[in-house]
Amino acid sequence: MIPDHLISMVVFSVLVALFFATLNHRDRAGFLKSAAKTLGWMVLGSIAFAWLMYWTA
Amino acid sequence: MALQAVPRFRAYGAALATLVAPGLGHWLLGRKGRGAALFAIVTATFFLGLFFDGALFPLRAENWLFRLGGIAEAGSGLLYLVGRLAGLGIIEQARVTGIMFGYGNTFLVTAGLMNMLLMMDVFDIAVGRKS
Repeated sequence: MIPDHLISMVVFSVLVALFFATLNHRDRAGFLKSAAKTLGWMVLGSIAFAWLMYWTA
Repeated sequence: MALQAVPRFRAYGAALATLVAPGLGHWLLGRKGRGAALFAIVTATFFLGLFFDGALFPLRAENWLFRLGGIAEAGSGLLYLVGRLAGLGIIEQARVTGIMFGYGNTFLVTAGLMNMLLMMDVFDIAVGRKS
């Protein structure tokens, strides 16, 4: 088990990003761009949201 | 678009094959590389959910949130069924109060929802709506 919130969230984001990139893109460039974009939005968005919750608590 | 008899049979068959193993429908339709990749992603998500102490919720749970979770997880098809029959991910005090319970559930529910998306994708490919 990995009792670490950040690692769990990043692993989850990687899997989801790879899933949608595989599902929607045939070409390598499109695949990489889509995966990187989804991963970035998920990780940075989660960190921003967590920071907002911490800041407003 | 009206579906022809043979493509319709093929489409439903491929969609149902996805319940047997994630990505199997894509494999059967000739998208072998994509099928293998999707199999790896969805099964990894499912088993990480079990590894992270997630619960395989029963479809007839009394708590409606657990029931919804069960419906989403059942999208994994055979993985969910075998897991339930093997007694994996049972809801118990130690698991529910564990630090990773929420993460495990998220992984398991997401694996089921991903597989449902795969079923729809396979159907669209089989009937010619998607390449």
